[in-house]
Amino acid sequence: MNIIEKFNQLSFVIGFFFIIIAVVLIGGYLLIAQLAHDENLYTGIGMLVFGLIMLKVKSE
Amino acid sequence: MKLHFADYLIIFIYFIFVIAVGFIVKKRIRSSNDFLNSTRTTPLWITSIAFISANLGAQEVLGMAASGAKYGIMTVHFYWVGAIFAMIFLGVFMMPFYYGSKARSVPEYLFMRFDEKTRGFNALTFAAMTVFSSGISLYALSKLLEVILNWNFDLCIWVAAGIVMLYTLLGGLTSAVYNEVLQFFLIVLGLSPLVIIALHDAGGWATVKANLQPEIAHAWKYMGTAESNPMGINFISLIFGLGFVMSFGYWCTDFLVIQRAMIAKNMSAAQRTPVIAAIPKMLMPFIVVLPGIIAIALTKVALNDGDFRIPMDAKGGLDYTMTLPSLLSYYYPSGLLGIGITALIASFMSGMAGNVTAFNSVFTYDIYQAYFVKNKSDKHYLWIGKMITFVGILLSVATAYLAASYNNINDFLQLVFSFVNGPLFATFLLGMFWKRTTGHGAFWGLFIGTLAAVITHGLTIAEGKGGWISPVYEIRSGMGQAFIIASFSWITNFFSTILISLMTRPKTDEELKGLVYSLTEKVYSTEKRWYMKVAPLSILLLIITIILNIIFF
Repeated sequence: MNIIEKFNQLSFVIGFFFIIIAVVLIGGYLLIAQLAHDENLYTGIGMLVFGLIMLKVKSE
Repeated sequence: MKLHFADYLIIFIYFIFVIAVGFIVKKRIRSSNDFLNSTRTTPLWITSIAFISANLGAQEVLGMAASGAKYGIMTVHFYWVGAIFAMIFLGVFMMPFYYGSKARSVPEYLFMRFDEKTRGFNALTFAAMTVFSSGISLYALSKLLEVILNWNFDLCIWVAAGIVMLYTLLGGLTSAVYNEVLQFFLIVLGLSPLVIIALHDAGGWATVKANLQPEIAHAWKYMGTAESNPMGINFISLIFGLGFVMSFGYWCTDFLVIQRAMIAKNMSAAQRTPVIAAIPKMLMPFIVVLPGIIAIALTKVALNDGDFRIPMDAKGGLDYTMTLPSLLSYYYPSGLLGIGITALIASFMSGMAGNVTAFNSVFTYDIYQAYFVKNKSDKHYLWIGKMITFVGILLSVATAYLAASYNNINDFLQLVFSFVNGPLFATFLLGMFWKRTTGHGAFWGLFIGTLAAVITHGLTIAEGKGGWISPVYEIRSGMGQAFIIASFSWITNFFSTILISLMTRPKTDEELKGLVYSLTEKVYSTEKRWYMKVAPLSILLLIITIILNIIFF
């Protein structure tokens, strides 16, 4: 199944969404002083893990 | 509160994804049934999460946090007395009729079981209720964005309504359901850090509880008399009004949530949908009620070493609706704040899209097709369904302004539910479990029950609301008033339906096969794993619910 076809799977869409959000939070924590709060890092890691799990789940 | 670029970016990404889901689903829409009812192919995990998420609108998220601050731990009754028992009852006893009858909607089931006029009455009241609920969600979101971000109220209403319109018009019910799943995870993952951070800051649960007024620090201890608790009702009114009439009336008859179970793959999955949804529902107080309880404890001098405040309303009281936004603003740094705001926007969209998709289905099939244009092509009904979606969203916008006069939007919603859902459950209970119930009995019982709700509202007054006939009886809270209205309307409907049914001719047994408990063949699960069976899973959930009630007694 190619990447385009995977977007027909809801779990893949959800996983992809949370990975992007995690990248924004973790990237912000590492690169931008205003975003360098532990809360952003921990939440970002949590969302990254959740996103990766959802990518692996076969929903349909 | 000022948002950083990262916060706006997160909100923007979310908007892109919900609209993208609409485009992904769009290619699957070929008929009116695809658009309005999805198809019976949706996996169990999606139907279960959509089932709970359709109810997880702004009024749930903002309203339950508001109620947590206003009524304290007693707010958990909405979950551990109301929702869980009703959801399990729906899965075990009622889904076989909804799913097995192949009705496209709850009003259509009423048509099959009773007659056209009962369907019409339910379809009209349900349509009105969904527009109210949708409007409240829209109002809540726009007020929130106006107060905390200084965004223009009117602009917020139209932009938010426009995005919901776009993705529901693109993909219909399937798009709404898929987005509800995304929104559910966003709400849970976006608000969970708030509970952890606020609880940690307050010094833990024991400290929070120690700083609450005694009457709001227990779920049951002060429910002996109406005067001893802030809800202004005793445990009998609570169990009967909320636990039985309102909760069963909502979860077991409201097409908004039942529609999600009706798109499951098979009967077993349809029955398990509300039961599995009960698992996250049981834990939801820890995400939506607990922040309100922590907030009210934080306003005590002993705990409040910062400057956390719940804002005041125009009358000088606490504006409970702003409890959750105030906590987000106080505890969330830039970045996480974007997640929190997006979670609130998601809750609004989830609630609004759920109501709009239920509204368009009921209006198209149970009002338009049933009464106005009966024999047109499927293409025509698909077009009408899309037009009704558009109209439903415009009506929601109009209703949003009506909601602005209430300081606790949850009270307002409970009032609407008590008018519509309160009497309705009596009709379903009798219709499904007493074959002697007639169409005339059901219709006039519903009519008289709804009338009783209106009269009870006119004779009772709470927080300055109601009492428009004569304020004969004063109730301490709007919430308590809603429970009492629901109770009276249910009792009136129940007995008037029985009385009129006994005086009129029932349908034959042949006509009622598959629609009434005693005339429906029982289907027993062949599943060997206990956790895949409805009954053992339900019993386990009931035991856990009772334990939770004991822990927070």
